Amino acid sequence: MLREWLSRFRFFLTGKKRVDVDEELQFHLDRAIEANLAAGMSAAEAQRQAGIAFGSRERAREQCREQVPRWLLESLLRDLRYGLRGLGRNPGFATVAVLTLALGIGANTTIFSLLDQALMRALPVRDPGQLVVLSFAGSNPGHHHSEGGDTPGRIHEFSYPMYRNLRDKNTVFHGLIAVAPKSVGVTWNNRAEPVPAEMVSGNYFEALGVRPALGRLLVAGDETTAGADAVAVLSFDYWKNHLAQAPVAGKTLLVNGTPFTIVGVAAPGFHSVVWGHAPALFVPITMQHVVEPEWSLLDDAQSYWIDLVGRVAPGLTPAQATSSLNALWLSLRAAEFPLLRDQSAKARKEFLNQAHITLDAGARGFSPMRESVRMPLTIVMGMVLLVAGMAVVNVASLLLVRAASRAREFSVRFALGATSGQVLRQLIAEGMLLGLAGAAIGLLLAPQALRLLIHWMSGQSAGEPAFSATLDWRVLVFTMIATLVASLLFSLAPAMQFRNPDLAQSLKQQSGTGAGGSLKFRRTCVALQIGCSLMLIVAAGLFVRTIQNLRHVNPGFETDHLLSFSLDPQLAGYSPAETAAVEQRALDAVSGLPGVHAVGATNDPDLADDETTGDVKVTGYTPKPDEIVDIELPWVSDHYLQALGVPLVAGRYFQASDTATAQKVAIVNESFARHFFANNGAALGHHVSRPNRPGSDAMIVGVVRDVKHASVREPAISTNYTLFAQAERPTGLTYYVRTWQPPDVAANSIRAAIANLDAKLIVSDLVPMKEQIDEDLTSERTIALLAAAFGVLATLLAGIGLYGILAYSIAQRTREIGIRMALGARRSTVIRLIVREVMLLAGGTIVVTIPLAVLATRAVRTQLFGVSTADPTTYGAAILVICLVAAFAGWMPARRAAGVDPARALRTD
Amino acid sequence: MPPSADLLQGTLDMLILRAIALQPEHGWAIAQRIQQVSNNVLQIGQGSLYPALHRLEYKGWIRAQWGTSENNRKARFYSLTAAGRKQLDTELANWDRLMGAINLVLERI
Repeated sequence: MLREWLSRFRFFLTGKKRVDVDEELQFHLDRAIEANLAAGMSAAEAQRQAGIAFGSRERAREQCREQVPRWLLESLLRDLRYGLRGLGRNPGFATVAVLTLALGIGANTTIFSLLDQALMRALPVRDPGQLVVLSFAGSNPGHHHSEGGDTPGRIHEFSYPMYRNLRDKNTVFHGLIAVAPKSVGVTWNNRAEPVPAEMVSGNYFEALGVRPALGRLLVAGDETTAGADAVAVLSFDYWKNHLAQAPVAGKTLLVNGTPFTIVGVAAPGFHSVVWGHAPALFVPITMQHVVEPEWSLLDDAQSYWIDLVGRVAPGLTPAQATSSLNALWLSLRAAEFPLLRDQSAKARKEFLNQAHITLDAGARGFSPMRESVRMPLTIVMGMVLLVAGMAVVNVASLLLVRAASRAREFSVRFALGATSGQVLRQLIAEGMLLGLAGAAIGLLLAPQALRLLIHWMSGQSAGEPAFSATLDWRVLVFTMIATLVASLLFSLAPAMQFRNPDLAQSLKQQSGTGAGGSLKFRRTCVALQIGCSLMLIVAAGLFVRTIQNLRHVNPGFETDHLLSFSLDPQLAGYSPAETAAVEQRALDAVSGLPGVHAVGATNDPDLADDETTGDVKVTGYTPKPDEIVDIELPWVSDHYLQALGVPLVAGRYFQASDTATAQKVAIVNESFARHFFANNGAALGHHVSRPNRPGSDAMIVGVVRDVKHASVREPAISTNYTLFAQAERPTGLTYYVRTWQPPDVAANSIRAAIANLDAKLIVSDLVPMKEQIDEDLTSERTIALLAAAFGVLATLLAGIGLYGILAYSIAQRTREIGIRMALGARRSTVIRLIVREVMLLAGGTIVVTIPLAVLATRAVRTQLFGVSTADPTTYGAAILVICLVAAFAGWMPARRAAGVDPARALRTD
Repeated sequence: MPPSADLLQGTLDMLILRAIALQPEHGWAIAQRIQQVSNNVLQIGQGSLYPALHRLEYKGWIRAQWGTSENNRKARFYSLTAAGRKQLDTELANWDRLMGAINLVLERI
């Protein structure tokens, strides 16, 4: 077998000389003549008979040639060359077709690349298939710090003591790692900046199989006891972009004011085990108290804050690993239970009996972000596939029109003995040429489009974006397959017309009205295009209205002339005891700036998708059985509510006299008052506290109107404002500055004022509130932008496609139109006739498409806001646009046709 | 001149291999030989002969060399390679098996 292939390969390279074949055939012919002579024929007759027996010499040559192993390639090249010449003769057609395909393929590649990165790509670590993400069902009394990404009913965060036990006692993993993200202040060369960091277990890099680019990475020995491991590993991107690839190993940098020794830099390409995270540095998890000075989590079994990822030992099935780990985990939980405060049977049931640990495939890493991008990306991918579908139909109809005008050429080829297979191959070769050219341009455009899109999506937010603008092999394979399928589809469209044609018929048919079959096909093309573009325009309309609605939501306070920024003195190395005082000084400094009307601060930023919630006990209110009262608990400055402009409805605002040592006070919102009390006034004087935290007890002194908090999408929830100055522990704050100065001027003076207090203080995320809201709406804005772009593109494609098909079919009807006009039809009658036909077709398509569109948009209704999936305005506008495009595409060629001189029209062909 | 009996698919290859099994032959001689031996039942036109010869050569089963024909003309002689000989044995064995089976069916039904 191998020898056979080797031999074929040799001849593939060398082939056979044409003269050799000729000589061989000539020899055969000569011998035939000799034989005939020997049989007694005359010389002429012998030659004639031999020639007849031999047949066409050219055909014989060709048949021999077809046996050469490389013949397939040769004929393909010949087809391609011929196709290229054909396209060259028709540059306008070729350009439109290639550009259409390039747009379709480029858009698909771009969006698919995002989809691939978010939902499919495995982490760049050793054997990612062995990784599993741990999560558990069961109660978790205590603190829970989550970034999101939880599966309903399951929690991804574990406590540190539980992690240590699991890691040391399990028989399942070849490495169980822990990771928790946190933003820190880093000072390098006397320059301070906020950067994303990850607290990781010592075995993090070892278990993942990540190599150092410089120095060494963290090892198990770097995770000893709390506060003892002041070493850090930098990410490659941070080292390259922020530290200019300096020889940093062994150098010292400050993390939140504490010196850390840099031991090395991680390999390029590795970001984190959590997809979407791009930490600048990794520090041992034992340094938690430096990273988050306000918390002490390491020894607390009731603080759930770290994500766990394990590498399952080879040879273990997932079921074996899960059951073995569950046994260990449940025994650890059982030992933990007696230490809990609530020892009731119900608590026991929730903590132990209903508890279960789950191992999910972790090749792509855990991600709090993935679920939130899945739906938008899927929607956009759906739209972009529709666009690609339209591009294919468009090129198919263009090719069809072109093929129809080539009927004579194909008839001649058939007459000369071409088989339908050869003609088909020729058509496919031409299609592939267009497809490949389109794909090439599309692939050139895709990284640019991707870069633009990523830049646009990441907006103001600090740190490296989760997406990268490079195309990996998976995307290239996808594009190749999409191109091949698309090319096949649209090149087969004209082939349908020419497969097995009735030669005489097709030669006669030059000036006919087109065969019934191809007419139906053209109508189908038109209908498909109108249908697809209607869907896309409806989608665009719905998403644009959504973003408009979201932008015009009134959050309950004025967002104009409002700047926000974050400041956390602990990131600059201040001790917890000093923090509140520094924050107050910053408030005073900013409020004294020119143009500043009011300043407030909170630890729970508004309209930024942040929530700080917890349960409370309220005096004078008896909770219903099993009622969990989860309310928003911001710590604010005394002037915060006034600065935002939240109206007071009962009692009083906070005052300067509510100092750290005075009676602790609280202000609640109307939702709170409504939930716990009969009316707003009744709330005043009652006390609110966190369960089991007597230090949190505060008296309600005022009630304010509800304002939107987490996002403009969500209604206000019960809220209890207390003063950060009276809080149990220090915290970083987000400041809100109401200023009449232009944002950039105000921003500069704010930075200067804070730097004046202490140059080490880091002012981050300084943006106008409007921009902050926009950033919160990134996914909606992105969908709306892309949907609008696709809508415009679809309209354009539909217009080109319709015009092409109609221009052709009207040109075919020149004779018919001539007769009509000769019989007395007016120009306007002819135009009306044609436009009416187009409009009837468009109308029919619209009637069929609308129910489909309503169904399709139902699938995306979670992404809509304030607009129904059957919004009449959107549908009306979309139908109007389609009708206008169809009418225009029909009117243009109709007008030309009606301008024809009847006498000449009758004489054509 | 079309073959007067349709050759079974692949049978032509076997006939050609068999025809040159004893000594190298050129195309014309191969066709004549098969025609004569089969009492003019199997007539092989050049349209199938030469493509088949070339195909076998490309597969490495036969080898072509220029030589001198019996009437002193330059001609292309085909001879079996080792791989071709093995292939011929396989095909003959298959053929025997097939014929035996067909005969059995024809006799017993």
